[in-house]
Amino acid sequence: MIMLEITNLHAGYAGLEVLRGIDISISPNEIVALIGPNGAGKSTVIKSIFNISDVTSGSIVYKGEEITDLHTHELIDFGISYVNQGRVIFSNLTVRENLEIGAELIRDRHVVEKNLSHVFRKFPVLKRKAGQLAYALSGGERQQLALGRALMQNPSLLLLDEPSLGLSPKLQKELFETISQLREDGLSILIVEQNAKKAIQIADKTYLLEDGKIALSGGKDIIKHEKIKNVYLGGRY
Amino acid sequence: MAVVAQLIINGLIAGSIYALVAAGFSLIFSTNKFMHFAHGSSVVIAGYLLFTFFSLWHIPFYLSCLLTVVLTGVLGVVLHRFVYLPLEKKNASTVVLLIASIGLLMLFQNLLQIIFSASVKTIGYVQVAQGVSLFGASITPLQIAIILLSFFLLILLYWFMKYTALGRNMRAIADNKELAEIIGIDHIKVASLSFFIGSALAGIAGILIGLEQNVYPTMGTMLIVKGFTGAVIGGIDFVPGSILGSYLLGLIENIGIWFIPSGYKDALSFALLFIFLLFRPQGLFGINKGVRK
Ligand SMILES: Nc1ncnc2c1ncn2[C@@H]1O[C@H](COP(=O)(O)OP(=O)(O)O)[C@@H](O)[C@H]1O
Ligand SMILES: [Mg+2]
Repeated sequence: MIMLEITNLHAGYAGLEVLRGIDISISPNEIVALIGPNGAGKSTVIKSIFNISDVTSGSIVYKGEEITDLHTHELIDFGISYVNQGRVIFSNLTVRENLEIGAELIRDRHVVEKNLSHVFRKFPVLKRKAGQLAYALSGGERQQLALGRALMQNPSLLLLDEPSLGLSPKLQKELFETISQLREDGLSILIVEQNAKKAIQIADKTYLLEDGKIALSGGKDIIKHEKIKNVYLGGRY
Repeated sequence: MAVVAQLIINGLIAGSIYALVAAGFSLIFSTNKFMHFAHGSSVVIAGYLLFTFFSLWHIPFYLSCLLTVVLTGVLGVVLHRFVYLPLEKKNASTVVLLIASIGLLMLFQNLLQIIFSASVKTIGYVQVAQGVSLFGASITPLQIAIILLSFFLLILLYWFMKYTALGRNMRAIADNKELAEIIGIDHIKVASLSFFIGSALAGIAGILIGLEQNVYPTMGTMLIVKGFTGAVIGGIDFVPGSILGSYLLGLIENIGIWFIPSGYKDALSFALLFIFLLFRPQGLFGINKGVRK
C-alpha cells in the first residue's frame, strides 16, 4: 500500500510554474527526504500537498483518495500535518496554547489531553515552559514546539520543511533522532532538508529536486552517486 | 482638591468611552491588519438606532439597547463580508482598505444627516440628574454607570481573549495569520467574529455617549479619532494596551485643561497622536516584532 502518491505534478504560484512534472511516493512508516538547491521547488512540493500553492495538473493521492482540492482542515482531519520552514510558532501565545491550538480541530477534550501529555513526554522542556510565552524559547525549543504542535493533530503523515535549518550541529543531531523516533512511533514523514547527508542517512528514500524536476532518486546508497557526492556533500547551501 | 478630583473623574468618564471604542478598533485591527476607521460609524449608528427604537418607536429601553448592540455587531460583520473581504480577495493593499473605511465613515455620516437631519437628537431616557458628591467632585449616576459598565465589559473582553479557545484563536491570527491557516483555523470566521465583538463594543459606547450627551451625525468621526489616538498611545495591535492608552488619553485631556484652555482639548489629543506616531508607533505597550516591549 502507498500512503501518498504524487503523479506528474505541475504546480507553482499565480502563473509561475515551479514544479514541472514530478512523481514522489511515500509508503506507510517511511521517511522520504527531498533535497536540492535553494529555489528548486522543495517547499512548493509540500505546499502543493497542503493545497497552498496552485496545482495546475497532476494528482496527489493520499490513502487512495485524491486530495488535490481539499481544504486545510480536511487535510488535517485526514491525518496530514505540516511544519513550515523557519520554526514558525505563535510567539505571543504561551507554549501550552501553541500546543493546544494545534489540536484546534479535535473536539474531544480527552484526546487533546492525551496528545498533550504525549507531546510533553516527548519534549519535557515544553512541559517545564508550558506557561511561558513562546517568544522566549531558544531555537531548538522552538523546533520542538513546532513539531509538538503538529503532533497534537494526531497525524499519520508529517510534512517537515527544513526543520534543521539554523540549528547547531548538536541540536540537529537530536532533531534527526527525534524524527527517526517518530517513524518508530508509526508516522510517515516527508522531510525537506538542506543537510543532504543527514537527510539521506535517516531516510528510506531520497529524491533530488533540481529546477522543478526530480533529477535523481534512490535509497541510502544514493549517497555514493557522483552527483550527490560532488555537489551536495561538498557543503551545505 | 475638589477640582483635581473632578478632572480625574471627567477623565475616567471620557477614558471609559474611548476605551470601549479603542478596544474594538484594536481587536479588529489585530486580526485583520488594517484600520477600520468606519468603526466610528458603528458608534454613531448605535446612537441613532437607540434613538429610533426607544425615542421614536417606544420599544422598552433595555430591549432597545439589546437590539442596538446586536445590530451594530451585525453591521460590522456585514461591512467585513461585503466590503473588506471582496477587496481583500482582489489583493487590495491596506491603503486601499484604509481609504474604503474612511469612505464608509463619510458615507454613513452623510446618510445619517439625510435621514435624521444634522440637528442634535436627545434620547431622553435619563433625566438630567443631580450629581452625587465624590471626593468633593460631582458625578451623576449615569456617569458612574458608564465607568463601571466599561470597566466590566473590558475585563470581560480580556477574560474572553485570554481564556477561551475563540479568543486564543484571535490572538493566534493576530500573531501569525499564515501559521493559523496551516493548522486549520478558519481566519475569515475569526475575523468576522472580531468584527462582531468589536462593533458591538462600539455600539455600547454609542449608547452610553448617546445617553450622557446627545446624538449627532459627526459624533462617530469625533470618537474614532479619540479611540484611534488611545489605541496608538497604548499599542494599536494589543487590545489591553489600547484600553490603557485610552484611559490615559481621557485623563490627559481632562487634566490638561487645568493648564490650557478647554477649547484646546482636542488639539492636545492630536498633538499626542502625532508624537506617538512619530516617536513610538508601537505605543507604550505595543507588540513589536513578536516582543512585547
Ligand atoms: N508565494 C510565492 N509566490 C511566488 N513565487 C514563489 C512563492 N514561493 C516561492 N516562490 C518561487 O518558487 C520557486 C521555488 O521556491 P521554493 O519551493 O520555496 O524553493 P525551495 O524550497 O526549494 O528553496 C522560487 O523561485 C521562488 O522564488
Ligand atoms: Mg524552501
